[in-house]
Amino acid sequence: MSERPSLWWIDWRLSRAPLVREAVGRFLVFCLLGVALLSLLLSGGASRFLADRYAITAVLRAEVPSAEAEGLARKVAALPPVRSAVYRDAEAAWKEFLRAYPGLDPLRGAGGNPLPGYIEIRIRPDRLTGADVDLVASALRSVPHVEQVLAGEEGLPRMLRAGRLASWAGWGVFGAFLAGFFLVARLQERARAVALAGDFAFLAERGVPAGRLALFRAAGAAISGFLLAAAGTATAGGALFLALRKFPFLEGGIGPPSDLLLPRTVAGAVLFCCVAALLSAAASLLGWRPAPSGRK
Amino acid sequence: MIEGFRLGIFSRGTTLWDGLDFAFGDAGAWFVTGQPSSGKTLLLSILRGARRPDAGDVVVSGESLYRGNAALALAWRASCGYVPEQTVADPRLTVGDLFLRSALAGSRVPESERKERTDRLLEMVDLQGASGWRVAELSLSERVRACLAAELLRGPKVLFCDGMVAGAGVPFWEMLWGLFRALAREGNTVVLAERRIPERWALAAGDPEPVGPFRVYRLPVQGRE
Repeated sequence: MSERPSLWWIDWRLSRAPLVREAVGRFLVFCLLGVALLSLLLSGGASRFLADRYAITAVLRAEVPSAEAEGLARKVAALPPVRSAVYRDAEAAWKEFLRAYPGLDPLRGAGGNPLPGYIEIRIRPDRLTGADVDLVASALRSVPHVEQVLAGEEGLPRMLRAGRLASWAGWGVFGAFLAGFFLVARLQERARAVALAGDFAFLAERGVPAGRLALFRAAGAAISGFLLAAAGTATAGGALFLALRKFPFLEGGIGPPSDLLLPRTVAGAVLFCCVAALLSAAASLLGWRPAPSGRK
Repeated sequence: MIEGFRLGIFSRGTTLWDGLDFAFGDAGAWFVTGQPSSGKTLLLSILRGARRPDAGDVVVSGESLYRGNAALALAWRASCGYVPEQTVADPRLTVGDLFLRSALAGSRVPESERKERTDRLLEMVDLQGASGWRVAELSLSERVRACLAAELLRGPKVLFCDGMVAGAGVPFWEMLWGLFRALAREGNTVVLAERRIPERWALAAGDPEPVGPFRVYRLPVQGRE
C-alpha cells in the first residue's frame, strides 16, 4: 500500500495565482497593522503625548544656593518615575517669564528679580499615573528647600482618565482592524476551499483523510501568516523609523526611533506575529468546514 | 485478492441486490457487466471502500474494509486508482490539473519527473500535448483517456474503471486491452464495470460467472487470443 502523500502547502500546489494575490493583500494589511501596533506600543496610547506636556514644578525658596538646587534636581531625577529633572535659576525663570509676557520688565525695577528658581520635573510616559505623580510630589514636599510643588493634582485624574480612554480607543480600533482581517481571511479561505473542493474530494476518495488535509492547510496558513506578519511588521518598523527621523515632531506623540528596538517593542511585535498566525490558522479551519463541492 | 461476501444494497426502498459473492484475484483484469441501473457504480464504490454495503463485507488481502482498522481502509483507498463515469467538469480544470491532483494523492514525485511521466502517459492514450487543454472542452473519449492516464501517474496497485471502455470508444479498445494486460502482468489488478463487453474481449475471456445482476469476466493477460 502506498506511502502517505505530502500535504504541505497543498493550496499553493493546487492554486498559486489566487494564493499569491491573497498573500500580497495580507502583507499590505500587516504593514498597516504593524504601523498601528508599533505606534501604539511606542506611544503607550496617549501616555507619551501627555507625558510630553505634563510637568511638575518644584518652586524653590529664594535663599537656596544654585549648587544645592542642582544637587536636589539630580536626586529627583534618580526617582524611578522621573524622566528628567532640570533646575532653572531665578534668572532663567525671569527670562522665561519675559518671553511669555513681553513688556513686563518694569516689574523688576526696585525690588530686583521677583521670581524664584525652580525644578521642572517630567515623568516617564509609562509611569504617568496618579500614584507615581503623588510619589514624586510628596517626595518634593518633604524637602525643606522646596517652597511649593505645582503638580496640577486637581486636573490630573481627569487628564489621566482621558489618556486612558484615548489609549483604549486606539487599541480598540487596532483590535477591530485585526478582527476585520480575520473575517476577510476567513472569507478568502472559504472561497478557496470551495474552489478547491473538487480537488479535496478527489484526494479524500483516494484515502487522504479530510482531517489531515484540514490540519496541514491550517498549519500552512499559520506559518505563512506568521511570516507575512513578521515581514509586514518589519516593513512597518522600517517605515516608522524613517518617518520618525524625517519628521522629528512625531517623536512627541509616538516616541524616539531608538525605542523600536527595545525588548518590550520587539516582544510586542513577536506576539502580534503569533496572534496573526493563530488567526490565519483559525480562518483556514473555519473556512474549510462548510466547503461544499467545487470543481469536479 | 479482493473479496466481497454476501454483499447487499437496500436503497430507494427496495433491494437492489443481496447475498452477492465476488472474488477478484490479484494480477488480473476483471470485467463486470450489468444492465443500466443495476448498481455497477455502487459495486465499484463498495469495493474501493468508499461506500459501506448495507449487508456483507469486503475483504482485501484478508483484512475487512468496513469492520476492520479504519487506517487500513484508508491505505487501501490510497492504493487504488479510480476512473469514474464522466460528468460535468469545472470549466477551469485542465488536463494538467488532473495529473497534479493525482500526483498529490500519491507519494511525492519531483515536478520534473511528474511532467515527464505526464507527457509519456498522455502520449500513451493518444493525447499528446493535451496538458493545457480544458477538461470541459474535451470529448467524452478524451476525458476518459485523460482521467485514466492521470490515475496511472500514481501507479495504483488496483485500478477501478466505471464505464471507461464504452466511453473511450471503439478505436481505443485495442490500446486499452493491451494496457490492462500489461498492468495485470506487472501484478496489478484492474476491475472494469461496463454495460456490455466488447465482443472480441468476451470471446477471449470465455464464459462469465453470473453474480446476481452482473456477469464477471476474467480477461486473459498472457499474449493475445
